[in-house]
This record gives sequence, C-alpha cells and structure tokens, in this order.
Amino acid sequence: MMLVTRPDYDPGTKYLSSWSQILIEEARAKGIEVLDLPGTKATKSEFEGRLKKKQPSLVVLNGHGNEDCVTGQEGKPLVESKVNAEILSSSVTYAVSCQSAARLGREVGGYLNTAYIGYEKKFSILHSHGYFKRPSEDPLAKPFMDFSNHIVRSLLKGHTVEESVRRAKEVGETHLRSLETSLSDPDIQMAAAFLSRDISCLVAHGDTVKCIIY
Amino acid sequence: MNDSKTDQQKLSDEEIRSLVVARLSVLSPDTYVSIGSDGSFSRDELIARVQAGDEIGKEIEDIQLEWLRSWKARAAAV
Repeated sequence: MMLVTRPDYDPGTKYLSSWSQILIEEARAKGIEVLDLPGTKATKSEFEGRLKKKQPSLVVLNGHGNEDCVTGQEGKPLVESKVNAEILSSSVTYAVSCQSAARLGREVGGYLNTAYIGYEKKFSILHSHGYFKRPSEDPLAKPFMDFSNHIVRSLLKGHTVEESVRRAKEVGETHLRSLETSLSDPDIQMAAAFLSRDISCLVAHGDTVKCIIY
Repeated sequence: MNDSKTDQQKLSDEEIRSLVVARLSVLSPDTYVSIGSDGSFSRDELIARVQAGDEIGKEIEDIQLEWLRSWKARAAAV
C-alpha cells in the first residue's frame, strides 16, 4: 500500500502533485492500493490518521520543507523532527521536498526496519510558463519528473531502497548527458545545472536494503 | 597585503556574479525556476536576486559554479 500527500497551492507543489498523479495511476494499474491526500486533504490530521490506520509500506511526501520538517497544504507541517517523526517508522518514505534528508530523514532512518529517501539541499526544478494547468507535459520539467518519479517506480518494481536511488540517479544522469548535447540552448543548460544539483543531493537513510514489495 | 587579498577576493566574487548573470540573461522569459519553498522565479527575478547577493542569489551562484566545475570535469574525462 502507498500513501501520497499532494499539496497543490503554488507552482512548485502543483508540479509535484501532477507528477505523483501519474505514479498513482501506475500503482493502481499494478493492483497496489493507494491512499491519496490531494490538495486540502494534505493536512496533518488526515495524514496521521491514514498512516496509523493503514500502515502503508511506502509513503510519498510531496511538499515544501526544511531540515526538520515536510509540509502539506499551505505549508503547514505534516511530519516534524522531534515531534511526530516516529509515525514514519516501519515504512519506506520518499520526500520530494527541500533539505528534509539532512535531519528529519536521519531521525526517521534511525527507527528499526525503516528507510527515508530525500534531499539534503534545496530541491529545484525548471518549468515553463503556459504549462501550469498541465505540468506533466512541460518539456523543460520532464527530466526532473523522470528522475524523481523513477524512485517510486523502482520501489514499486520490488527493488531495494538503495537500488532505487541508484537507478533514479542513472535516469537523471542519462537526461544530463542528453541535455549536454544541447549546449546552444541556454534554458536546457540551466535545467542541466539544477538537475545535476538535485541528483547530487538525493540520499537514503536507514534500512536501505528494505523493499516495499517482495 | 590583506587589503590586496580582500580586493582580489571581492573582484573574484564580482566576476562570478557577472558570469552567472550573463548565463541567466539569455534564458527565455517564459522559463521559471522553482526553488523549494522560496518560490518560482522568472529570469529577471533570478538576475535581481543574484545582483542583490541575497540567499537565493547565492544559492543560484553556487549551483551554477558546481555545474560548470562538473561539466569541466566531464569534458576532461572524455
């Protein structure tokens, strides 16, 4: 079972929400039950309630954050270091959020049979004006989407946390090599710089040989 | 001696800033960079942040320099 939080109150979260919509459809097509918390449902009470009741093996957190927390709708905290981080114990969590792997992720990864995948620095993407209503079709954002979504795809295929991170980085590097062939396009050059940063700060903590599907 | 070193460092920072601004200035006006909870920034907003030398501007400089160094390393390895 997979739980996904999808706040969607600004351009950044709208893009992440749209990317996760694709993953939700793919998971359901594989027969995997999905607990979806979109928009105004991405609140702490909904999140904690569903997590405690259903205990999903995979938790995907989309949203803004910092070293100590990941937020939901309107930037309100869903999970915080030293507050309710234990709620993620026994699950594999992937946080598409800034910096949360630096402290929150380490704390969560310290629990038994638990893993946390996230970013140690700011997670950034490039996007184009005119795609706000259809973010998953934005060609400038596609390399970022493919890289990030590949972590979940790989976990859903039964790969370990460690292997999923490695495979996602390979997908990102493949995009980088492709972007490097367009040296004359400044937008693509800029996308490559930000994608390179995202790839380099993706890490996993805890039980990295854990799988969500056996 | 110290003044000379400070001037050299200051000049170096200015050169970096100019390089990053030059790279940003050729972006499409329809391109935006979403930097976490700091927001989404247009080309002109990014340039203003770099020129102001604020936290976002420094983050952009850092990412650009990191990329240029890695690109140089990749090119040398080929």
